Amino acid sequence: MVRVAVLGLVAVLVLGGLFVALRPDAPATGPEGRTVEVDLQADAMNPAEVTVGEGDRVTLRFTADRPRELHLHGYDREVEVEPGETTTLSLEATLTGRFEVEDHDTGAGRGALIVQPRQGG
Amino acid sequence: MLRRAVALILTLCLLSAASLLAARPALAHGFEGRYDLPVPLWLYLYGSAAAVLLSFVVVGLFVGKDHAPQHYPRYDLLSLGAFRRVFASRPLLFGLRLVSVALFLVVILSGLFGDQFPGNNFAPTFVWIVWWVGFSLLVAFVGNLWPLVSPWKVLFEWADRLSRRLGATDGLKLGEPYPKRWSLWPALAVFFTFVWVELVFKGSDTPLNVALFALLYSVLTWFGMVLFGKETWLRNGEAFAVFFGVLARFAPTEVRVTSSETCRACAACIDEEGGCVNCYGCFERANPGARELNLRPPAVGLTRSERVTPAGLAFVVFMLASVTFDGLSATPLWRAIERSVTPVVGELAAGTLGLVAVPLLFLAAYAGFVKLSQLLAGGYKHGTRFGQLAAAYAFSLVPIALAYQVAHYYTVLIFNGQIAIVQISDPLGRGWDLFGTAGYQVNNAVLGAAFVWYSQVALIVAGHVIAVYLAHVISLRQIKDRRRALRSQYPMLALMVLYTVLSLWIISQPIVG
Repeated sequence: MVRVAVLGLVAVLVLGGLFVALRPDAPATGPEGRTVEVDLQADAMNPAEVTVGEGDRVTLRFTADRPRELHLHGYDREVEVEPGETTTLSLEATLTGRFEVEDHDTGAGRGALIVQPRQGG
Repeated sequence: MLRRAVALILTLCLLSAASLLAARPALAHGFEGRYDLPVPLWLYLYGSAAAVLLSFVVVGLFVGKDHAPQHYPRYDLLSLGAFRRVFASRPLLFGLRLVSVALFLVVILSGLFGDQFPGNNFAPTFVWIVWWVGFSLLVAFVGNLWPLVSPWKVLFEWADRLSRRLGATDGLKLGEPYPKRWSLWPALAVFFTFVWVELVFKGSDTPLNVALFALLYSVLTWFGMVLFGKETWLRNGEAFAVFFGVLARFAPTEVRVTSSETCRACAACIDEEGGCVNCYGCFERANPGARELNLRPPAVGLTRSERVTPAGLAFVVFMLASVTFDGLSATPLWRAIERSVTPVVGELAAGTLGLVAVPLLFLAAYAGFVKLSQLLAGGYKHGTRFGQLAAAYAFSLVPIALAYQVAHYYTVLIFNGQIAIVQISDPLGRGWDLFGTAGYQVNNAVLGAAFVWYSQVALIVAGHVIAVYLAHVISLRQIKDRRRALRSQYPMLALMVLYTVLSLWIISQPIVG
């Protein structure tokens, strides 16, 4: 019985200590405003992945080679882009994860918005 | 007679499959939209370290014990009058079966006649998320409901009963004896095909394909049941009955028959205590007084390895390997390998080669570690047979695969599964609202990515600890000498650490494509 208790205690201490030691500290800066230019050429999104932090105020400025209707999953936002014009999509990145951007009519994925959690990432 | 029948049915299946492959273009991926983020490096390292540390804690806790517990504690739920009246009542059981058949029919009809965009159709969501992920987890963590609700079994039983009332004395049975040599290989072949459709075939999300494959499987299953008898086919050929049966060994419930006469008359089950566990055929035939529905500690069912045939062992190994292949095939490393192979053989063949190669590699590695374990136990001279050890230890790896499966897929169930709430009111995507839920908005804020990371690592490490404990119990049961039993565990421990670290590595990889 003593052995069980001792082993258990040692395990908890080592696991807890290791966790605290390995986990990166929370970033010094808080959420910030970001603006990203996103261009769609020939079915590819450039940049293919847009990475932001949780809580950031994100502005995506879309340009495209032909008329496109894009759908951002998770945030469930739609944006229509016309060639020669810049369409803006603004959101507050409250949801964390990887969210696909796809062509609304075909459902084909073009790129992704990645929202990283504040701590632990 | 048998050979001609088999040839006919195989040709039919192959023709239908070929037409499916040729006909429709793979619909672009529109099914999911939200993905988990790869687990960060520090957490992957932490998980690996925790797995190794806890393995030694588990071994340390049991080093002094003389023998493994022979019997696990269990409690018969059917002894509770209230439980029996509610959960074993005929109306409830009939209702569940009716719901199952209804869902099956909705899947077929939606797939055949509904909107072919997967996001609007009930069929792919129900089959791939609610049933394949959700029902599997229900079986593993609650109990095996498949023998109760399998639409193929229920419809066959209803048809059989009807035929008897209409005069056929034997019901729907041709009574062909099942060749013993075939064992569980047909179930494995069918399961391989299913996993291939899930992971390699590009059109698995298309509603029409889902319906056609379901119909194809119905023909195959009913043919098998008519030819060889319902129970024989369920035990040897119905891939999902076998699959859920393996998962059910982990579950905290079991069905038990305590009358040895019933079990002795059954070809497939044996038990040291004069009864049988999880033999659903016996359970159906037994006297109500000899039936138990027992609550038991989770995972203990995996320590029972009575009469596992080579085919049965191959099935379990393939199950484990296919779970790993599922995750592996989305990693950048795999994509790079695929890119170099695809120009030579094509995309489909590259995926198929992978689905064959990974399980074979898995089997080879597993056999190697079991052999080491046998040698450390003193080898054949001391009464440890390789085949017996291999069959027993295979089940101990199931918690690791199950933990990975839960970790990888529970978010799909929680996030993407919500679409089923909308689709049940509008299964064909026509704009209906049968149950008033068509306007439901999927809630994407249910869980944050950080929580998902921690829970995934915790699940995988927990699965590892359970597996180590099971290997310990199994080794003490298989090997008489205590010191040898302990020594022989170390190769299995090493294998488990490798398997767990691989699982953690997979969830730390960025998703590609």
